[in-house]
Amino acid sequence: MKRPTRLLVAALLLVCCALLGAEPARLPPDQMAKAIRSDSISIPTPGELFAALEKPGKPNWTGQYRGPVSATYGNRAQIALNLGGLIADGFIAVEAQDCQQVKNIGTDIIKLAKALGVSQNVLSRGNSINEFAENSEWDALQEELEATQNEVKSSMQTHRDQDLIILVSVGGWIRGTQVVSASVMQNYDERSAKVLRQPALVAYIHSKMNDISPELHDEPLVKEVSNQLAGVEKLVSFPPATAPSADDVRKVNQAVGRIMDEIQSKNAK
Amino acid sequence: MKLPLSPNQPLAGTSFTERNWPITVKLEGIHRGQLLSRSAAIWTRNGLFLLLLILACICISILHAAETDQEVEARKTALDLAGAFSNDGFKMRDGHWCGTIKPREPALIAVNLYAGNQYWFTAGATAPAKRLALNVYDETGKQVSTEAYNAGEKAAAGFSPTSSGQYYISVGLTEGAESSVCFVYSYK
Repeated sequence: MKRPTRLLVAALLLVCCALLGAEPARLPPDQMAKAIRSDSISIPTPGELFAALEKPGKPNWTGQYRGPVSATYGNRAQIALNLGGLIADGFIAVEAQDCQQVKNIGTDIIKLAKALGVSQNVLSRGNSINEFAENSEWDALQEELEATQNEVKSSMQTHRDQDLIILVSVGGWIRGTQVVSASVMQNYDERSAKVLRQPALVAYIHSKMNDISPELHDEPLVKEVSNQLAGVEKLVSFPPATAPSADDVRKVNQAVGRIMDEIQSKNAK
Repeated sequence: MKLPLSPNQPLAGTSFTERNWPITVKLEGIHRGQLLSRSAAIWTRNGLFLLLLILACICISILHAAETDQEVEARKTALDLAGAFSNDGFKMRDGHWCGTIKPREPALIAVNLYAGNQYWFTAGATAPAKRLALNVYDETGKQVSTEAYNAGEKAAAGFSPTSSGQYYISVGLTEGAESSVCFVYSYK
């Protein structure tokens, strides 16, 4: 073989090797189905959702406050769901840069965490939340709130309460979506409305809820939340390029509002 | 009764002999010393086996602990790089994923992102990893263009989605052998 031909063959071989070694420009569906999904990385925090909502203009965060949450629920599933919701409330107070509200919510979070019998590590987070709030360290507070949530989940794992972990995430996502949809309804903007599109996230949360133990899944409140999530999944499945209309947003708000009412009701089924 | 036992004989039925050695010492052709040495041999052999078993368990524990240490190291590397984005106002997620990647077998991680936010995805690895690559794909599996940063065993990809939804981040090795890797992300 002549030298130029040999060089050409070698170059072709190199190109082939590079193409074989390179990652595909499009992922096959089976690979996407097998992707790593975990509670701590695949479920965004309420802080991420609120950060996106703030882009077109600062919402009226204090207008999204709600009354105090009961600390005397007798049902562990209901406590876990409310704990998630309270953590989302903490993120709202941080966005509003409201030191006293952050401290109040921090105290409520610790009360509910204690009711679940979580570890001492979680309880010490309450002091950190107060300290950061006193010093107006808002970025650090966001991280501390997520760290508190992860500490609660880690403690649940240690105490073999892993089924409650997803309930904390569910509570947080529902409360966050309630606040965002309410805010978008008050001042409709296409860019803000786009953050409500999360079909895969709701499908993941829903599938995790279906994986929990039959005893917990059969509890009326958990069953109710799980059933209603199926409806919410359809409501947040807008086409990728289009923003939901004001009416679509209202429907989402009504659906998550109903779930939130059930979660915080003292007379929950 | 003659006990078929000699110093060079295989140790079949020795458990019986062991249990009854005070009786067997009176048996014809067998000395107490022989039985004792036979017993000692058995105990030595069993002891050696147990010792090896314990050593194997310790080695496995050490290897496992080493893996965990490597993951901690990989996380530290990833956090070092992600910390740089904090200076630009990016908030770092407390959640992370750690695992092992092999050449041509990237880890694919599903994340849910919001339109309007800016994201930096960061990965750190330990030796023998030499070069990492991060790619982002949308929910249909189509690769999206990102701002890339690469510095050997750490890499990052910056991305601002225009559509909310699920995205996939692939963390792959372009140089080096199987390594521990850790993935974190930041948003603003």
